[in-house]
Amino acid sequence: MTSDKATRPKAAKDPYHWSARGFIAPGVLGVAVLLYVPLLWTTFISFTEYNGLGDPEWIGVENYVEMFDDPAFLGSVLNTLLWVGGTLLVPVGIGLGIALLTWNLKGGTWLRLPFLIPYAVSGIGVAVIWSFILGSGGALDQALGAFGFSDTPRWLVDAPLNTVVMILATAWQGVGVNALLFTIGLQSIPKEPLEAARIDGAGGFRLFRSILWPMLRPLTAVVVGLSIVASLKTFDIVQGMTKGGPGRDSETLALTMYKETFVNSEYGLGSAIAVFLTIVTLAAAILYLRQQLSSKHEG
Amino acid sequence: MRSRKIPLVVAAAASASMLLASCGGGGEDDGATTGTLDFYTNKAAWEPDFDELNAASESRADITLNTTGYSDAEQYDAFVRQSFRTDKSPGLFTWQTGPSLAELVEEDLIAETTDIWTKAVDSGWVSTDLRETYTYDGKQYCVPMNIAYWVMYYNKNIFAEQGIEEPTTWAELNSIAERLTGAGITPYYQTSTLFTFQWFQQMVAGTDPELYEGLSTGEVKYTDPRIVDIMETWLDQEEAGWFSDAGSTTDPAVGLKQGDYAMINFGSFFNGSLDGAGMVSGEDYDMFVIPATNPDLEQTPVAVESGPLCVAENSSQKTLGLTYSEWWMSPEAQTAWSEARGDVAFNPKATVADPMLEELGTTVASDDYQLYDRYYEATPTPILTVALEQFGAFIANPGDPMPFLETIQAEADDYWAEQE
Repeated sequence: MTSDKATRPKAAKDPYHWSARGFIAPGVLGVAVLLYVPLLWTTFISFTEYNGLGDPEWIGVENYVEMFDDPAFLGSVLNTLLWVGGTLLVPVGIGLGIALLTWNLKGGTWLRLPFLIPYAVSGIGVAVIWSFILGSGGALDQALGAFGFSDTPRWLVDAPLNTVVMILATAWQGVGVNALLFTIGLQSIPKEPLEAARIDGAGGFRLFRSILWPMLRPLTAVVVGLSIVASLKTFDIVQGMTKGGPGRDSETLALTMYKETFVNSEYGLGSAIAVFLTIVTLAAAILYLRQQLSSKHEG
Repeated sequence: MRSRKIPLVVAAAASASMLLASCGGGGEDDGATTGTLDFYTNKAAWEPDFDELNAASESRADITLNTTGYSDAEQYDAFVRQSFRTDKSPGLFTWQTGPSLAELVEEDLIAETTDIWTKAVDSGWVSTDLRETYTYDGKQYCVPMNIAYWVMYYNKNIFAEQGIEEPTTWAELNSIAERLTGAGITPYYQTSTLFTFQWFQQMVAGTDPELYEGLSTGEVKYTDPRIVDIMETWLDQEEAGWFSDAGSTTDPAVGLKQGDYAMINFGSFFNGSLDGAGMVSGEDYDMFVIPATNPDLEQTPVAVESGPLCVAENSSQKTLGLTYSEWWMSPEAQTAWSEARGDVAFNPKATVADPMLEELGTTVASDDYQLYDRYYEATPTPILTVALEQFGAFIANPGDPMPFLETIQAEADDYWAEQE
């Protein structure tokens, strides 16, 4: 392939490029039609009043004004931030911890395996399992009752406890795959600097802080980036466990978007929330990854 | 280079517009009156009952229902709404009466059924009262799929053990609740999701049916002192421990069976769920019409819900759907449905399989009772959504009712302002 490239003087005019573009075109067209057209349509709808039945009526930025005026929307922004923070601390943090504790151990793979299995369960499946455990009078309450604790908290009813336990349920599912990714990162660290550091007397936390953590950084950037994007989109667990309730106490942005659109048939307002969520998610991902990956080069 | 990109962009735009164009409009009615009818419903649990009914519809009307059941009501609503923009709009589907149906009728999306209703009323198959629920601008749309009265179910064993009789007044009902609480039994079931409205509905309509009516027309505010009083009563009852744990995930029918609570305020379709949970109608459970909160009312108000079966105006199966709707109204169809589903029949000439439901139908038809639309159908959707959430929040954390009522009223103010 490289020799082909070398013998090709003006690549752009080469028929090879045009045939390659021809082959790619259907895929690009598919993405354009199925992704960008709906995106543009959603953006257009966000400036209209539309109940999904008649014709959309242009109302300018009214939906956006209404959105920022709505205390339920602001509550849902706060909950989403709690999700972003929580899923960084818990599944990413514990995942890293498990990877560090097991990567050099004999049989470490077997220790990591149980953490990985829940990853195969779908989000709604996780929600169903944890609803049985955390519902009032559920498995956890019964287990605590057996030890004499009768006045247990109402896990899924009281806010913000319900969001916290849902984050833990998500952590139960996500911790294994983060541990796996970090283990791959740790295994790809060259032996020489590690051995040099050990000879210099570094061990434990010092070894982690000065050698492992900096060398893991590109991978951490990806894991954290993915985690931020996933947590901003949180929907299935909450829909499955509390439906955003009681009231709207545990709603996330994705849930508010869904409710406004499909429950209240306020397609315009729902689309405005969708646009807001898309901008926030893209901005968070781009800013974070750009900062992380560029500072790596500087470092 | 730049100019060569243009054809690609044009091609993308052209295919996008073709895709959008193909989404618009509907199908052409194929005019068939027999065959397989595609039927969509949000009552997925009833799918076996609809399949059972096929035996009767095949032999009598030569139509077979091909049922697709959704168990998520929100997803179902979104599907139906979107389907009107495609050529796949359903030949027959279930919906809700009240503002949700009015919205579809206003957009000319529903096939008219005036002729079917005229025939049914003339044949004495259906009451003129029920026709009102399906009338918009003097024309009828859809036919009633079912009718349910909201009553109080109770566990007969608990009532027998405690020596309790069915109450005939609100005061008696309250003393039953006190007595049960004293015996360590939770009187009533409650939940903080979806079915959060029935106690509010019961107490408002039972206090003053006109007050209840005023809420649904916007003439009465949720912050009206009379409504606040009712909520305060509800709060007292919550604090007295009259209601079950709102966060419980136990199925309500199973909860009643195992005695988690003694009573449950539900629609008369609940017989099917209780039978499914292994309780025997009339032996393990029974029901009574909830006495009016206000003893001075001449008639006891009873909430009624009627779910419609509709045909989409632009469906390719419009004629087939309407033919089935006509058959559905007949006594033979309703007798077969009552056998299959175990439900109250709206057609007085049909035979009701469950004697308890037959008795209920006769009771509420008498002059001592006044039927009113269930809160779920009587309330405009945006207000309903907020109200269900707020009642749910109140049930989860009972406290000063004002903040909950103010939140509902804020939505109601927005809604009624838009209607002017």
